Amino acid sequence: MSHHYIQFKDVRYAYPRGSEVLHGINFRITHGEHVALLGLNGSGKSTLLLQINGLLMPTSGQVIIGDIPVTRKTLRIVRQTVGMVFQNSDDMLFMPTIGEDIAFGPRNMGLPDEEVTRRVNGALDAVGLTGLGDRPAFTLSGGQRRAAAIASVLSMEPNILVLDEPSANLDARARRQLIDILKQFHHTILLATHDTDMALELCPRSIVLYSGKIAADAPTAALALGEDSPARNLFRTPAAPALTPTPN
Amino acid sequence: MPKLENALISLNSLSRPAAGKVSAPALLVVTLVYLVAVLSVPLYAPQRIVWLAVYPVVQSEMSGIGFARVFGKSLWVLPLILLIGIFNPFIDTQTAFTIGGVAVSRGWVSFFSIMLRGLLAVQAVVILTMTAGFYDMCHAMRRFGCPKVLVTQLQFTYRYMVVVVEEAVGMDRARKARGFGRNSYPLRMWGRMVGQLLVRSYERATRIYRAMLSRGFDGTMPLSRPQHMSGLSWVFMLIWVAVMLALRLINISQLIF
Repeated sequence: MSHHYIQFKDVRYAYPRGSEVLHGINFRITHGEHVALLGLNGSGKSTLLLQINGLLMPTSGQVIIGDIPVTRKTLRIVRQTVGMVFQNSDDMLFMPTIGEDIAFGPRNMGLPDEEVTRRVNGALDAVGLTGLGDRPAFTLSGGQRRAAAIASVLSMEPNILVLDEPSANLDARARRQLIDILKQFHHTILLATHDTDMALELCPRSIVLYSGKIAADAPTAALALGEDSPARNLFRTPAAPALTPTPN
Repeated sequence: MPKLENALISLNSLSRPAAGKVSAPALLVVTLVYLVAVLSVPLYAPQRIVWLAVYPVVQSEMSGIGFARVFGKSLWVLPLILLIGIFNPFIDTQTAFTIGGVAVSRGWVSFFSIMLRGLLAVQAVVILTMTAGFYDMCHAMRRFGCPKVLVTQLQFTYRYMVVVVEEAVGMDRARKARGFGRNSYPLRMWGRMVGQLLVRSYERATRIYRAMLSRGFDGTMPLSRPQHMSGLSWVFMLIWVAVMLALRLINISQLIF
């Protein structure tokens, strides 16, 4: 078993000419853990995810992926280790066909054609898109496009899967298919989502962000059901009161 | 289907190689030889250029694109070509020949020559991009020593054209949904929409670039298919190069007439 964990050590991040978005984030996710990242809009979830494969670099602090600190020199190995599924599938499907989109990562890794073909077919099978590799992305449904986006990452056989709101805009059936796909992934998953039912089903542990700080890091069930849970209102839809951070 | 959606489909289809089995390097070599042949014909001998039209006509039909489509696309650059040659008839008024008593000046001959070579050159490039696939064509250019920075610029220009049109499609739909059939807006309104389009396209392009980086993109687009030269590609290339050299070096008009 590899040691592909995610560790954040006092990570701070501020956008250029902007205020600080992440304020001293600390956590460690061990190999094989499935963790949900919860929080309101604008709490810093997407910014945090972008630090994991070095698309944004911390202003201070350190992100470590399986013993490798994320720096400009380690980006190649880090990006092979971390597969990132972005919020909008259309941003990930930029090649003429989804087969070529799925092959994009393996080809950049320099794999031979036979191996690329094997991985593309394997990824298409894994997400239920067998035989659709020659189709352009715009001919697929929203759920299929999301599945194709995930396949484009699975084909790189990453050890860590990072997903930004993967169930957004999916109907019930596509959402169920997505959950089934993710259940098959036995390595580390970090999942930023507002879909708390999905978090409950997939992720035994959740980290709650509030205004760029970790408000809670606890078992998902406890966060959902605990009487004094700081995130309990995230698990309720009707007229939830504003989330308040846990006093440190 | 609205024009913008059509444009998007056309742009997207350019990135994919045509169904033909000729590889991009062979197509690129033939196109380069063709451009040299067309552009090196003396300015006052347009009758020698006419014979070179055989390549766009035959190749567009052989590759299934159809010459009418290629010709239509080449007309987009007609204004530019007109601009280059439009002053020739006024500058060079020396008589070249007479037809039925009407004197034709050398300026008109050179103007016609510029138009012809401009259209044929563009047609050859259109055929290349439509048959080789844009990214494969770029790889072939790299193989032949074209600077990486130039090829990368080409790839990104193409990619961002697609992004801009995609965003324009979205904005146009939103405008129509709330426009109640209205199509005329003050110029200031269109100006703001263009500004919004650029901002949206920039943001979208940033997100796509991040998605590419996270999948190992290092500045070079991977090939969509292997570029080894098949026997067919060699035959295709050698036949066309021979035909073009013959048409360029032998004055067929003189032989026939």
